[in-house]
Amino acid sequence: MLSMWRKTSAWLMLGILFAFVLLVGCAPGAGTQEDDSDTDSETTEDTATDENADSESGEISGELEIQYFVGGYGDSWWKEVIGDFQEEYPDVTITEHAGPNINEEMRSRWVSDDPPDVVYIDGAGSSETQMVEDNQLMNLSEWLSEIELEDGSALSESFIVDPATYGGEIYSLPLVFDTWGTWYDNAWFEENNWEVPKDFPSFMDTMSQIKEDEGIEPFVTTGQYPYYFLRGALYPAFGAAGGDELLNDVITGAEGAWTSEPVLNVMKKVEQMQQEGMIDSGFGALNHTQSQMNFLLHDNAFIPVGFWLPNEMANDTPEDFEYGFIPSPMQDEGEPYAIVPDLRPLAIAEKAENPEAAKAFVEFVFTREYAKSFSEHTGAIMNLEGVDLSPNEEVPPFLIEANDMINDPEQVQIYQKPHPMSSELETPISNSLVSLMLGNITAEEFVEEAEQAAAEYRSSLEE
Amino acid sequence: MVQSKRQRNLFLAFCLVPTFLLFSVFTLYPLFNGLYYSFFQWSGASSLAEFVGFDNYRRLFSDEIIPRTILHDYFLVVTKVFGIMILSTFFAVALTQMKIKEAPFYRIVFFFPNIMSVVVIGILWMFIYNPSLGLINSGLEFIGLESWQRPWLGSEDWALPSLVLPSVWAGIGLFMLMLMGGISNISKSYYEAAEIDGATEWQQFWKVTLPLIWPQIKISILYIIITTLNGSFIIVQVMTKGGPNNSTHVMGSYLYEQAFVKYNFGYGATIGVMILVLSLITVFVMQFLMRREKVEY
Repeated sequence: MLSMWRKTSAWLMLGILFAFVLLVGCAPGAGTQEDDSDTDSETTEDTATDENADSESGEISGELEIQYFVGGYGDSWWKEVIGDFQEEYPDVTITEHAGPNINEEMRSRWVSDDPPDVVYIDGAGSSETQMVEDNQLMNLSEWLSEIELEDGSALSESFIVDPATYGGEIYSLPLVFDTWGTWYDNAWFEENNWEVPKDFPSFMDTMSQIKEDEGIEPFVTTGQYPYYFLRGALYPAFGAAGGDELLNDVITGAEGAWTSEPVLNVMKKVEQMQQEGMIDSGFGALNHTQSQMNFLLHDNAFIPVGFWLPNEMANDTPEDFEYGFIPSPMQDEGEPYAIVPDLRPLAIAEKAENPEAAKAFVEFVFTREYAKSFSEHTGAIMNLEGVDLSPNEEVPPFLIEANDMINDPEQVQIYQKPHPMSSELETPISNSLVSLMLGNITAEEFVEEAEQAAAEYRSSLEE
Repeated sequence: MVQSKRQRNLFLAFCLVPTFLLFSVFTLYPLFNGLYYSFFQWSGASSLAEFVGFDNYRRLFSDEIIPRTILHDYFLVVTKVFGIMILSTFFAVALTQMKIKEAPFYRIVFFFPNIMSVVVIGILWMFIYNPSLGLINSGLEFIGLESWQRPWLGSEDWALPSLVLPSVWAGIGLFMLMLMGGISNISKSYYEAAEIDGATEWQQFWKVTLPLIWPQIKISILYIIITTLNGSFIIVQVMTKGGPNNSTHVMGSYLYEQAFVKYNFGYGATIGVMILVLSLITVFVMQFLMRREKVEY
């Protein structure tokens, strides 16, 4: 018996050894990894130049893989565009990777350096900043100057909002113009003669009125995703208070930005909202859908969400509900509203196997014609100037109104952020923000915590 | 017929080798791979990984949120062990000893949460805790205790305690069945003898039932500890995502946030190693504390 045991344990040892060999063999070594990727990128560049020569003779063929996230905007617009592209370039075989979880599903492809050619960066599990930091996206700075719209105008001159830049370089082209703002029920407001807020003091007045009339806490947002409030209400407030410069400093975590006077003033406003009982005291537990449901059920009167809200909640919207949209009214008295657009970009993978077809597709998408059809399909705006939506019956009224508002600088100032905030900085700031909005810390404590998070973020970048 | 040694070894190999191979590929490999990646700075979404030595471990020790996550985990371990063990022992004894006619019905009712996915349980309890529509706040209002109403999951102080109730509720059934199995193995004659000696029901429970089902209790406690340290992640992720302001983050949910939200996969792997080490230590300590002579009457 004993000898048998010895034998079995010998077997076991052998097995463990085998497992280790397996491990060492499979695990990618760091050094070789980097070497690999270097040679890889060289070869892609080579093929890119080869295929450049091809494209001059007008040949675009091969397989084109497109990854796009399907969320609140649906996929009907994508189907139309891809269908048209296929007709235009019959030699290209298009593979679509699409769906609400596509970012997770495609992750292994990106990890193994076998990415799709074109990627639309949107939705959970995607991060443009991470992709740029990991060198996954092609530098498009030079190529952009060559692209023209259908009427011959340069694409680089026709964006509503310019592409995000990383150290001055462009890695993605902003396709969807999303913007956050504050929503209310127009019909309900008219019925009660509540005034639509124009700036922060009138925002507080209206909320006090609603609180008095209905006995509700008028403002709600999602506490599980605190970035809704950060992007939807605070970014515009920072823009209004300190322009693009402050916005840039806050998002990049520049030293002293979060403890600066204008930021503290904005946070004081949030503190005031909390202290006067304007913020739903249960918001901390709500996810975005629950907060939006509460808003639709008139448990609250204001909610900061992006343009996708009506599309996302279409099935749950009561019949007499009329979506009203204003840029979040956090600015001082008498100043114009502020908007900070959030862009959903289209990019080409650095290691795209068919970069020529990818470029052809990206070029194909950016036209005013598709911009118009985008608004019809999704109820949102594509990031191109000079698209006339007003005579269009298929576009929802709030969007036409918002579109007009955005194009009128007297009413609305557009501020641009350099790029999305890295989640490394956004997460700790969001956490402190929830604490502030629950009344557990003061505005002064908040800016200190945010400043510390920014310092940690900066030091993590230096590593 | 006597089996030859060779035949026996062949049979053993036939039983063990495939299992061991699968175990290696699906358990050992990920385990060691996690350990391996804890030495890298890697976003988890690209092929670029940079070897950073013990940097992630240094970061682990200076991260202010880590001690909180550990505390939250052990808070859940302690409350769940007491909550589940007391209730499931009570129900097990009641359903086996009290001669209740509807015992099978209750057995099914109590076991019911165990066949539900934890995700479903989490969502269900989110509705129960909902500050405006939820059962708890409405119930408190109904009995006139408005001042007790809270935003529960939305409060930094109450969110973590609020997670205990669904966790306990979801755990009772399984352990109740385990203990019932143990109790039904105890020979009736012990109770008869105890009764003749004049022992009350309470004394019978402490002197007869409890010592004889101690092995089951011990296994149940260890099982609760392990599943809580490794699995409390699910209920946190579903119900609060670690919020508000990190007040409900457990080690697992913080790992998830680091690895898949903040794209620090290497650091996430380091947290995974920490969970492994802490689980091992806890289990060894508990084994030591709960050791007892096996009782036989």
